[in-house]
Amino acid sequence: MIETHHLSKFYSRGLYALRDLTLTVGKGEFAFLTGPSGAGKSTFLRLLLLQERPSEGSIVVNGHDLSRLSRREVQEYRRGIGFIFQDFKLIPTRTVLENISFVSEVLGVPPAQQKRRAFQVLKWVGLQHRMSAYPRDLSGGEQQRIAIARALASDPVLLLADEPTGNLDPDLSLEIMNLLREINAGGTTVVVATHDRELIRLVGRRTVTLDAGRVVEGA
Amino acid sequence: MRALDYAIREAWASLWRRRGASGFAVLAIALAMIVLGALLLLTWNVERLLTQWSSAAEFSVFLRDDASSEQRGAIEAVIDGSGVIEQRQYVSKADALTRFRREFAQLASLTEGFDDNPFPASVEVRIRPEAERDGRAEALVRRVAALPGVADLRYDREWLAQLASGLAAVRGAGLVLALVMALAAAVTVASVVRLGLQARGDEIEIMQLVGAPLAFIRGPFVAEGVLQGGFGALMAIGVLWLGFTVVATVWGPELARLLEGGSLQFLPVRLSTALVAGGMVVGGAGGFAAARHAV
Repeated sequence: MIETHHLSKFYSRGLYALRDLTLTVGKGEFAFLTGPSGAGKSTFLRLLLLQERPSEGSIVVNGHDLSRLSRREVQEYRRGIGFIFQDFKLIPTRTVLENISFVSEVLGVPPAQQKRRAFQVLKWVGLQHRMSAYPRDLSGGEQQRIAIARALASDPVLLLADEPTGNLDPDLSLEIMNLLREINAGGTTVVVATHDRELIRLVGRRTVTLDAGRVVEGA
Repeated sequence: MRALDYAIREAWASLWRRRGASGFAVLAIALAMIVLGALLLLTWNVERLLTQWSSAAEFSVFLRDDASSEQRGAIEAVIDGSGVIEQRQYVSKADALTRFRREFAQLASLTEGFDDNPFPASVEVRIRPEAERDGRAEALVRRVAALPGVADLRYDREWLAQLASGLAAVRGAGLVLALVMALAAAVTVASVVRLGLQARGDEIEIMQLVGAPLAFIRGPFVAEGVLQGGFGALMAIGVLWLGFTVVATVWGPELARLLEGGSLQFLPVRLSTALVAGGMVVGGAGGFAAARHAV
């Protein structure tokens, strides 16, 4: 699913965020990306989401060579990727159901289909009874579950999560991880960036450790 | 179609959510459109009156007191044979004196001290509008002026030409002013839309990350600008109409006298629609510039 070859990302004055990263994540795999702050975890996810372009090397995701995609192809590519952030990024002026159906809406899906799919994933994360609530009325755990439901709305082949449990207590963190495991069990490749070693230990999946932009373990 | 529907719904919601800032942008566009609309109102009315006056063009041939009846006959024959006139009327010296006393009653006493009638006889000619436009009237006037028995000839085209060139200058200066104001209005709209873009940063980021087409991302901001522009222009038309009604009510009779029976009219539907469309284009351009800069 993900293949990188000698991937580097550097900024001005030789400041490397990632250096010579060669890594493979197989289709249907669940992988943790860990390391201290500044190790390059988020940069790697940003490169996968094409929010940034590599400085050197290549990334191939699901057959797409990310360095060669046109603007339109980037849109196409992103439609197959789900993402979850630490700060949830829910839209405060929309209800739970609207936050989820919003994804299908801006992809031009017909209204009836939008609502059906949104309700389906909302039910899957167990929050169908909160569909009319606004994000401010939800707990942190509920907000992250909504964010997961939103990520699933477009039925992605790859799910990227950047510190998805960073704002949650240990019990809720495990609950979110269980949801991600279930998603993975359905065939979706999942990559989770986290610095929570205890959580990684509890979930027990492949772990790639980064430090100062280099892979130090698990490539 | 879905992108358009989405853009309009989102733009409408955004206008309502940030009605204070949006109101400011609407006001800026309204001011620019008031200037442009007032200019249109003025030039359109003057042009209309110019056409009206031009179509009623006349010239008067004043005859020498010693002009013979043969000379008068020759003058009238040239005029009649020109094929460019609608009407011709001979005004004798006595008729001219009577007309003066009737039209200028307060000055009538001035004519009583003369032994002889000081007013010349004349031939008054009404010209066809097309002859006025294609220059045949001008040629006839030059030909008649050279005939024997003609003392003077009055053909008041110069003031119409001067008015037309003055109007062009006013139109040019007004257009520059309106363009500057339209630019300022577009910048205001862009600033207001940019505020909205910042407020909806997360939403835009999500849209980009899920691969939403640009039409969905930028569309609502362009539509917001278009709506602000449209409302601004409608407000401008309302203000102009109010101003026009006040002027027509208070100074209507004086204006009718000044314009020799002509009257001022408000902008026709065609120009009002163009003004609203102009406002929408200005607003849309502001919205597009802001959205393009940000996304």
